[in-house]
Amino acid sequence: MLEMLEMEFMQRAWLAGLIMAVICPLIGSFLVLRRQSLIGDGLGHIAFAGVAGGALCGYSPVLSAAAATIIGALAIEKVRTRLSDASDMVLAIFFYSGMGLAVIFIGLNKDGGFNLGSILFGSLMTVSSKDLLIVTALGCCTVLFVMLFYRPLQYLTFDEVSAKVSGLPVERLNLLLALLTALTVALSMRIVGLLLVSAMMVIPVACALQTARSFATTIMQSMLYGLLTVFLGLTISYYANLAPGGTIVLTGTALFLLSNAVGSKPAPKQTAPHRCRICEEEEKNHES
Amino acid sequence: MEAKNIITVRGLGFDYGEGWVFHKLDLDVAEGDFVAVIGANGAGKSTLLKMLANALPPTVGEICYYGQPIASFKDWHKIGYVAQNPMKMQRGFPISVEEVVALGLLKSGSLWRRFGKEEKQAVEKALHDFQLTDLRSRKIGELSGGQQQRVFLARAMVHRPQILLLDEPATGIDTGSKAALYAMLKTINREQNVTIVMISHDLELAADAAKSALCINHGICFRGEVHAALQHHHKHGYFYR
Repeated sequence: MLEMLEMEFMQRAWLAGLIMAVICPLIGSFLVLRRQSLIGDGLGHIAFAGVAGGALCGYSPVLSAAAATIIGALAIEKVRTRLSDASDMVLAIFFYSGMGLAVIFIGLNKDGGFNLGSILFGSLMTVSSKDLLIVTALGCCTVLFVMLFYRPLQYLTFDEVSAKVSGLPVERLNLLLALLTALTVALSMRIVGLLLVSAMMVIPVACALQTARSFATTIMQSMLYGLLTVFLGLTISYYANLAPGGTIVLTGTALFLLSNAVGSKPAPKQTAPHRCRICEEEEKNHES
Repeated sequence: MEAKNIITVRGLGFDYGEGWVFHKLDLDVAEGDFVAVIGANGAGKSTLLKMLANALPPTVGEICYYGQPIASFKDWHKIGYVAQNPMKMQRGFPISVEEVVALGLLKSGSLWRRFGKEEKQAVEKALHDFQLTDLRSRKIGELSGGQQQRVFLARAMVHRPQILLLDEPATGIDTGSKAALYAMLKTINREQNVTIVMISHDLELAADAAKSALCINHGICFRGEVHAALQHHHKHGYFYR
């Protein structure tokens, strides 16, 4: 273990990985519970179009990816608000449109001049000091955002209509969340890889949903599962000489299967002294 | 002394793009009133309540709270709202009863505020008043329909609103729990003087709890005493059983 941490590139990989292990599930908790689990993937494809478009027009791929992702996230949010019952369909449309645009841009670009693979599927092992700074700044912004707006975000995730009725600025909060998601995807995918960013937004949350019994514990547990996933995944990848991103994701999947097998314990039976027959029958029907 | 009107609706109409759901609806609700909104399915009752809750903008007409147009109304802490079947599609949502009730304390302007002793006491009181203390740590999706409705009522009441807007609060719950729910609403109205506007299909229970009624059927609206509204409903609407 100590031997692994002696190398500077591994130290940076560990730090970047652990920061991602906290911020991705933190944002992902709200996204998964709003049935937007695939938004990370969808935004990744829009970023793909941004990178290809930027290369075609001679702009920085990171900036063009960030711009495309932000515009995409805000557009998804606007359409989702109008078609609230079909948010998965909206995501799919943006997902394919991003891919379509990227393919067209790549076809139009005869000069090449950029390594799409390294931009979209960067690796933890190649994280530079500057990259680490970006991830740290992103992590601070994300944690601050969730700390400040925890309860309003909880309300609009659970019951958006009632949150709006109570006078909360639901549209602005939704846009802020979409913006932060877009920035997380755009800035992190080059550093740790799109696969890792989008998977870490979903898998630790899925693990936590098997065992948590409240909103607060879901968020806390998803971050703990995220840290455990990165810790085990990076260690295994180092000693088994495997690709770190893929190993971390598969470790997360294994943890999900484990947490699902353990499952949440059945809720304790209510011990109210006077239970009428109708109530008991209704509860039985509800459980079955 | 006659109670003042706190909800005023003038010339209200809504169109989803397929003709008027209802049109030129006028409604006055006095402080302390308990209005049962009845009518056939699809008559526009939920549409009306969503507009009253500012969740849906009216096509035409005006809604005022305490004499203030809804667009500029800021005192949303005076309004409590329970949507129809709020747990639809949310069975597995990981949120505890206590967390749901605490959400009711969030109102416009409370975005940054952290919950202190006062807020915690308000949650405790709501849990106690709605007999939820023993269920506080349970996930809401694990509760029965009647228990869930008590949680949502507790959320709506935790900030002590002056007006409660309820969209079919007894949907999907058994007969015994329904009677208990209506009795609870009656107590809230009579003892705490909370004005209630409630959509209901349980005509007998609603007639017993409410003080007045609004009947909407095929665009024809009747506002008045509960039993007269029921007669109007039997004459013009489909009798819901």
